[in-house]
Amino acid sequence: MRTTELIDQLDATLEGQLHRARAVRQLPAEALLYRPVPEKWNALEIFEHMCLSSGIYLRGLERVFNERAESLRINPEFNPGPLGGYFTRSMLPGPDGTISNRMKTLRMFDPPRNSGASQESIDKFIDLCERFRKLLVRARRTDLNRMRVTSSLGPIVRFKAGDAFRFPIAHQQRHFLQLERTLPAAPGPAQRTTTSR
Amino acid sequence: MDLVRRTIERYVRLGDDDWSRIAPCWSECAFSKGAFIAKVGQVEDRFYIVDSGVQRMSFPYDGEDICVGFSYDGSWSGAFDSFVNRQPGRFDVRALTDSVLLGITHADLNRLYDEVPAMERFGRLILEELVVGRATREIEQLSLTAEERFDRLVKRSPKLLQLVPQKDIASYLRMTPETLSRLRAKRS
Repeated sequence: MRTTELIDQLDATLEGQLHRARAVRQLPAEALLYRPVPEKWNALEIFEHMCLSSGIYLRGLERVFNERAESLRINPEFNPGPLGGYFTRSMLPGPDGTISNRMKTLRMFDPPRNSGASQESIDKFIDLCERFRKLLVRARRTDLNRMRVTSSLGPIVRFKAGDAFRFPIAHQQRHFLQLERTLPAAPGPAQRTTTSR
Repeated sequence: MDLVRRTIERYVRLGDDDWSRIAPCWSECAFSKGAFIAKVGQVEDRFYIVDSGVQRMSFPYDGEDICVGFSYDGSWSGAFDSFVNRQPGRFDVRALTDSVLLGITHADLNRLYDEVPAMERFGRLILEELVVGRATREIEQLSLTAEERFDRLVKRSPKLLQLVPQKDIASYLRMTPETLSRLRAKRS
């Protein structure tokens, strides 16, 4: 695939996610804590989960970009690695926006079992997406095939830098669908209720 | 927000003019079960009134969390000592259940103390209440037997026994979970 097209598409996806995250940040506390079913995550926990798992890729990418990105020759093509390609495809929602294969959360990425979640989780997520976007700017001037990042599956699976963008962003797409199923149906546009409750 | 006004008005009377200055300073903060409201080592910037949920205050000691108090429905929450002295906090405050707290920052509260005389009075009154509460607990900790400590708690906050895990109650009462379980069995 063309590197520039991939970057444009990832950047547009991140922009959409950021836009939605900022809107959700303004919702009243009860909506953010709302659980459709007692054992399911609430909106805050979905954001915290995305921070925990995407953070691994973000930090890995930042490290490898700082070490090598400027010394590599620009490569206009990106070829997904076999594992990176496979895992990204397994994450992406289908063309009709549905999720086919449900997955089990790794313990280390399960917010209720770790440090919980709060509105700060949304702030952290917004910061994370902005840092991904800064890297995508630098990604246009390097080779996303030749840098590698350890995946969240452990040091045995290392993704090409291009896949280290694609996989977490696809994973986030999946959770934005979950987010819409999780939030209580709001009557009309959402408004913050800080001063008038 | 009604909760904030009702809570403050338990101590002082507020004019509508006062309230129009006070209300914008408070904001809702949502914490999911398990989340840290305050963390050891961080300076606490907010003072909270609990809208919903249960929170636990503790400090780590010798590999354990020693529980020093709980907050729920309408009580105060946060690491108050750090909030006041602006030093890194010595307590963790965690949400035991999903919680909504109404918080005000240190800067906003201190500005209100200067601008609204009723708020300064409110600040003094809650501080007095906190001092009396700590003194009572200190005496209870040092002079009462385990059974007496348990009885006092049952009398003072019967609701807490339903809301909070046994191990936290035991830690709060400075007894082993086994002793607590024995005392509960004895009473029922």
